[in-house]
Amino acid sequence: MNQKYVFLQALIVTIIIFNVGVFLGYKLEGSRINQINDWYLEADMELLDQRIQTDAFDIIDFDCNAVIKENINFADNIFEKAKVIQRYEDANKINSDIILAHKRYDLLRTLFWINSMRIKEKCQANYHNIVYFYQYNNVPLEQDAKQAVFSNFLSKIKQEEGDKVMLIPIAAVNNLSAVNLLLEKYEIKELPVVLIDEKTKLTDVQTLDDIRRYLN
Amino acid sequence: MEFLSIVYLTYMFIAIYFLAFFIMLYIRNKNELFYFPPITKKYSISVLVPAFNEEKTISDTIEAIFASEYPIEELIVLNDGSKDNTGKIVERLMKKYPKLKLLNKENSGKADSLNQGIKMATGELIAVVDADSYPSKDSFRKLVGFFDDKKVGVATSCIVPRNKSGFLEKMQVIEYNVIAFTRKLLGFVDAIYVTPGPLALYRKSALIKIGGFDKKNLTEDIEATWHLVYAGYERKMTLSSNVTTTVPTKFKAWFNQRKRWSIGGQQCIMKYKKHFLRRGMLGLFILPFFVLQLSLGVFGMGIFLYLIGRKFLDKYLFVKYSINLDSPILTMNDLYITPSVLNYLGIVLFLIGGLFTILALYIMKDSILNKQNIFKILFYFLLYLPIYPFISVIALYNYIKGNRKWR
Repeated sequence: MNQKYVFLQALIVTIIIFNVGVFLGYKLEGSRINQINDWYLEADMELLDQRIQTDAFDIIDFDCNAVIKENINFADNIFEKAKVIQRYEDANKINSDIILAHKRYDLLRTLFWINSMRIKEKCQANYHNIVYFYQYNNVPLEQDAKQAVFSNFLSKIKQEEGDKVMLIPIAAVNNLSAVNLLLEKYEIKELPVVLIDEKTKLTDVQTLDDIRRYLN
Repeated sequence: MEFLSIVYLTYMFIAIYFLAFFIMLYIRNKNELFYFPPITKKYSISVLVPAFNEEKTISDTIEAIFASEYPIEELIVLNDGSKDNTGKIVERLMKKYPKLKLLNKENSGKADSLNQGIKMATGELIAVVDADSYPSKDSFRKLVGFFDDKKVGVATSCIVPRNKSGFLEKMQVIEYNVIAFTRKLLGFVDAIYVTPGPLALYRKSALIKIGGFDKKNLTEDIEATWHLVYAGYERKMTLSSNVTTTVPTKFKAWFNQRKRWSIGGQQCIMKYKKHFLRRGMLGLFILPFFVLQLSLGVFGMGIFLYLIGRKFLDKYLFVKYSINLDSPILTMNDLYITPSVLNYLGIVLFLIGGLFTILALYIMKDSILNKQNIFKILFYFLLYLPIYPFISVIALYNYIKGNRKWR
């Protein structure tokens, strides 16, 4: 048999091995995305429950403390999940469905933020909504470093302040109309930015420590 | 998919291809690896030993050649303007070996020395042996049989380091064994791209047909082999005999040697570029193989430096901002590792590559393959091989700048 067929046979074997590898990789990433989607469904249901409670506020007398507590727990949960999702996203190389999963989560967090504002208003709650807007794609080098610092600092604040803080990270540039409308409303043109209680914006690393002042 | 992911997957595809290629060649030919044709005809052999300041090794080289089981017609030492005692040592040995000849000449380089030697040589076959290399007794005996086939222009044997004590030498032992093993496998598809300087046995008429060795090339052995491929000659190799050679013991000498090899390879690419993807094995495999190796090395190096530079700057800014803000530099979240599919594929490739190296060492029956040296194989992969892209880039820079000195 002509040995030179080995060149072609090796190519066929390579294509098979390579495709099996990529397929398994796709499945692995797919399983992570499925996990994110499962979390999303759970969170979505939980949020829907909370929204119904908030919407029914005017007709039924609700226990504000319980609603606030649920809201805080929910915030903590999605914040923790956001960290895991971020790791999954960093490790995601093939399956682009993760972008969709991330967008859904961003919408969920936006909805949560709106609900949180309403609860705060109706229950006269004393927690602080800290919304962290960051850039999701094509992040320039310096901004990437800044975002990493913002993220770590806000986590530290959350740890220190606990239930006083409702920390909501939202990817800003992700072609979501609802998010874009809110960005417009709060005149957010620069990223990353921290929006405290829908009033104060912090964009510089140097001024980020001022957060403590607004919280106390 | 991100550009970098595409790049990584492309590199992986190429790596899998060559691993599959070599493994398939091995599986198909494992019973033929140590084959050498029997001697049916007597050939006269002239041995050429180019020497430049080789007083430390020349004597042993001459002794090794004359110890050959196959009779040597003549051994011509081409003393290329040595400033040490090389000439005197040879003259002294000429009393002991009547077939030993000495050509003292002005320094003009290895290729030119060999060309002068070809003119002097009377044998049908011409063996080129480096002055720091030592063919085993059976080397010539196990090579001459290949020349019964008129298409064969050159044959070589397995080249292994003579000095094996230091760490760098041990790395080279692994490397030389893998090279010998893969070269033999390439021989099954007529794709041997070099018959190296430590020992190559040429058909004299073939050397004359290609006009001898290229004086401008830093790796005259690679160039001559390519020229023979172009002229339609086959190259053969046997694993059943070996030649030991003195390998560099210092990093600088090693680096310069590899840089020279790399520049020589680049010279060959440029010389034969018009045959790219055209004529036979040269255009369809050897040239693309060299071009691929060079471009992957240079491009990979570029990507690597970009990523390292970006990471460094990113971390620098991150640490700077974090310190200013009294923010944590490391959090628990940073300690979690979530491997990507590329990490998994990389690990699998690394393991297959490692197993292939162990297979090569096992086949070559090299003593380095033992429990004590298992970490050296790891170092070979993690430290030794990654230096090559740097060498390629520096060699390319030198080549473009016109710095093509032998030493």
